[in-house]
Amino acid sequence: MNLTLAQGIVKASALLGAGLCMGMGALGPGIGEGFVAGKACEGIARSPENASLITRTMLVGQAVSESTGIYSLVIALLLIFST
Amino acid sequence: MTKKRSPILRIILIFFIVEVVLVFLSGNFSKQLEIGFEHGKFRIRHVETEYDLQEKITEEFQIDEYYKQHGETPEIYGSKKLYNSFKFLSKFGTVPFNPMGTFQLLRMLLIVDIMLLIMALFIRKTLARRPAKSQIIFELIYTSLEEFVSETLGEDKAYYTPYIVTLFLFIWVCNMVGMIPIPGFMEPTRNLNVPLGLGFMVVVVVHFSAIKFKGAWNHLQNYINPVKNPLFLLDIVGEISKIVSISFRLFGNILGGAIIILVVSSLVSFVVFPIGLNLFFGVFVGTIQAFVFTMLALTYIGVEIAE
Repeated sequence: MNLTLAQGIVKASALLGAGLCMGMGALGPGIGEGFVAGKACEGIARSPENASLITRTMLVGQAVSESTGIYSLVIALLLIFST
Repeated sequence: MTKKRSPILRIILIFFIVEVVLVFLSGNFSKQLEIGFEHGKFRIRHVETEYDLQEKITEEFQIDEYYKQHGETPEIYGSKKLYNSFKFLSKFGTVPFNPMGTFQLLRMLLIVDIMLLIMALFIRKTLARRPAKSQIIFELIYTSLEEFVSETLGEDKAYYTPYIVTLFLFIWVCNMVGMIPIPGFMEPTRNLNVPLGLGFMVVVVVHFSAIKFKGAWNHLQNYINPVKNPLFLLDIVGEISKIVSISFRLFGNILGGAIIILVVSSLVSFVVFPIGLNLFFGVFVGTIQAFVFTMLALTYIGVEIAE
């Protein structure tokens, strides 16, 4: 694969951008999901009879709060494969 | 009472030992071991492989781009006659397109549909007063989803259950079908068009039910009347972002899992570790995402028809 200098710069900055995008985009969902899991643990400890309901709500909430991380994954994939 | 060791565990242990030996023999990841018979003798040798990960990913995930670059005749996994007739049909469209990726997607969707049909017919045939195992599983799925629907929408609107169950089963089977190790098999939800279509249909169902329960004029006033709803422009954008968020979530999860499985399994040649990854990204994430998709659809419907 032979690239000119300009193409090489574009490719390199796209790859760098993909790495930054994934790293920064994973920060928020990581903190949020950990927070949700901690709160769910507290809830289960307080009322163990509602454990299944709490777990279900926690999983759905985590999947929803994960969506920003997924958007950054999609953008990173676009940067890697389409430039 | 003696504890019996199950034969499956023993087989897994043997596989594990064989794996470890093979990994130590292969030594280098750029080389691959070739095991076989040559001139009547059993032998193991190293083979230098030209394995380009980028090309592999392109072949797996951007099949149109791959065949455009290489210009080879596409290897057809299904019927050649079907592909040729599809190629013939694709010339009549308004936009000319390369039919390979579309053909693969349609083929996988057809396989999923046939699997669902066979499942339905099989369950219907074995219906009995004393339920068998399969009937119990499907009744469990149906009744638990019906419970969610009647919790969210109310007892009198439980007739939304068939739509919700269909959505769940379709997305679930779509996420599971990629784990079958046949070349050319992929999750249909890996292609953006499928989740986008499903998300668009969810929003259509939401607005149809809102019009049905609140009246067309009442519902339309939320989006055109600045007196009743001062933030009506934001609501219009919100409807579009509903489609985007619900479909990109499913698409990104499945695509990311598939890419991670491909990359890791190309890095470790002889380890069965990717089976564990399939267990996580295929079974766990697939089930959770199918569940989340249906729950979000249910919540959207519930919010619109609450008043």
